[in-house]
Amino acid sequence: MTRTDLLSIQGLRTEFSTPDGSLAAVNGVDLEVARGDVLGIVGESGSGKTVLGLSIMGLVDRPGRVTAGRIAFDGTDVTVFSEAQWQGLRGNRIAMIFQDPTTSLNPVQRIGTQMIEAIQAHRDISSDAARQIVREAMVRVGINSPDERLEAYPHQFSGGMRQRVVIAIALLNEPDLIIADEPTTALDVTVQSQILRDMRRLCRDSGSALIWISHDLGVVAQIAHRVAVMYAGRIVEQGATVELLKSPSHPYTAGLMASMPANSPRGQRLISIPGGLPQLSNMPRGCAFAPRCARATEACETPPDLSFTTPGHAVRCVFPLHVGAALDECD
Amino acid sequence: MLAFVLRRVMQSVVVLFVMSLIVFSMINLVGDPVDMLVNPESLPEEIDRVRRDFGLDQPVHVQYWKFLMGALSGDLGNSFIFGRPALALMAERFPATLELATSALVISVTVGLPLGVYAGLRPDGWGTRIIMGGSVLGISIPTFWLGLMMIIVFSVVLGWLPVSGRGETSRFLGIESSAFTLDGLRHLVLPATNLALFKIAMVIRLARAGTVEVMALDFIRFARAKGLAPRRIVLAHLMPNILIPIVTVLGIEFGTLIAFATVTESIFAWPGLGKLVIDAIVNLDRPIVVAYLLFVVTLFLVLNLVVDIMYALLDPRVRLQGDET
Repeated sequence: MTRTDLLSIQGLRTEFSTPDGSLAAVNGVDLEVARGDVLGIVGESGSGKTVLGLSIMGLVDRPGRVTAGRIAFDGTDVTVFSEAQWQGLRGNRIAMIFQDPTTSLNPVQRIGTQMIEAIQAHRDISSDAARQIVREAMVRVGINSPDERLEAYPHQFSGGMRQRVVIAIALLNEPDLIIADEPTTALDVTVQSQILRDMRRLCRDSGSALIWISHDLGVVAQIAHRVAVMYAGRIVEQGATVELLKSPSHPYTAGLMASMPANSPRGQRLISIPGGLPQLSNMPRGCAFAPRCARATEACETPPDLSFTTPGHAVRCVFPLHVGAALDECD
Repeated sequence: MLAFVLRRVMQSVVVLFVMSLIVFSMINLVGDPVDMLVNPESLPEEIDRVRRDFGLDQPVHVQYWKFLMGALSGDLGNSFIFGRPALALMAERFPATLELATSALVISVTVGLPLGVYAGLRPDGWGTRIIMGGSVLGISIPTFWLGLMMIIVFSVVLGWLPVSGRGETSRFLGIESSAFTLDGLRHLVLPATNLALFKIAMVIRLARAGTVEVMALDFIRFARAKGLAPRRIVLAHLMPNILIPIVTVLGIEFGTLIAFATVTESIFAWPGLGKLVIDAIVNLDRPIVVAYLLFVVTLFLVLNLVVDIMYALLDPRVRLQGDET
């Protein structure tokens, strides 16, 4: 795989203006995604991972907006794009899949109409030709007898089927990048693993890069080449999946791993990270995780910089954990 | 679908029967029509003769029975004043009212829907403030006052449009209407706009509320993520979703447009049903009043049924009871 960067984000800051002042949901994020790469973004609800995804799509609505930083997609800075330029990019070169498949489709339009319009928005082709592409896309995501299905309405589909349709729509124009925001969270576990497997296969076949946003480290571990852990609008740790899971350096990552049921000894209470996410309006001055961290000292009151433990494995912590020390440190 | 319609028709018959009972007994309390029909200086024998001729000497339940039997054979009685069948009189006046109500409905949708959607899409814009302010006025200003003002401004002061009455009509595709002649249109504009104003305001508010609600939904965001043009999002995704409640309300409101065109018809001397019934009430012309009220009830029953069917056509999730699946 050649490591030509498809997406390169530097110092991205997305703020929401509220009566209490401007709050940064995404605060100085740097990310790089190569062609064909699968990046997992992990974090709790409210950590800013969805806003990050929407920022890349140019879909942050008022009162939010991207206030600083650069999002270079295939070498072009998209933060300065006009609405018309965004339209040409969205759904065509970058596609997004949302969390809840039951609400992603228009309830009063036929599935076929909603798929065909996604093609015709970007390509000047006849409805018949578009229909043919749609039919193939349906089969690719495992929907049988597509002709019948195209005439159906979303409510006639199960949740898993609907998410397959949404995934098929995302793949229609063979995008360079797909952003999947917790696409399996609303589905039951068996369907979840099927979709996960299919997504991995489809992205490999089409060569699309994938950003998989999830709160579930286990899911991300199954699909991503690299993982970025987000906390309170910042990326606190980033590295190759195997490396990061083997030796997490940030106490938060270690805490996330320790709290996975599979990693707890049977018969004992599940481990949890004490406390909760700080409020955006009341952020600690230094490391945002410090109030919940067993290792925190006064030194954590100055914001930690990103440091590299090994090449390609970055962590934003004053006292990063050492190899093998992960599970014992956080309790 | 058929079972649903049949059941609704049966329910409607019961409602109509109960309404006829109420209407018939109430109207007997209002006053004695004989006083209006004979010269006050007539002899008592003369008055008794008139009373007998109209069947008003018999007890109420006998009168009702006769009315009911007549009604079942399609005869709602003769007007006391005109001496002609009430239904025939109404049928003569109905096209004028239907024309007025339909025009008002068309105006309220073509004006109200775009304004409401615009206001919903740009909640903070200047245009929105003006539109919403206007809609508050539209809802709160009394129709009759506004009608009079419109006559003063457009007919008396500016002299652009005729003061009252229905203009020249002509026949097109078998429909006799004033909308097909210039003179007829000039007569139609003011009363139709007057009748429509309240509905315009209502459509604006419904469309705005619907737009704000629907634009926040995930499928709109997904439509944007597909790279669709804003025009396509509004027409293909927003509109069908906000039309469901609007069609429901307008369907019922069409009934009120016909039933309550009375005020507008009186102001603009529009020769429609409303004017007929106002005159009938003043003259205690019982058969006309009864026939009119039953007609209005029937109208609402039919409209409700039509709205339910439209609903099922617009929204595939709605399956009428009694329908398969």
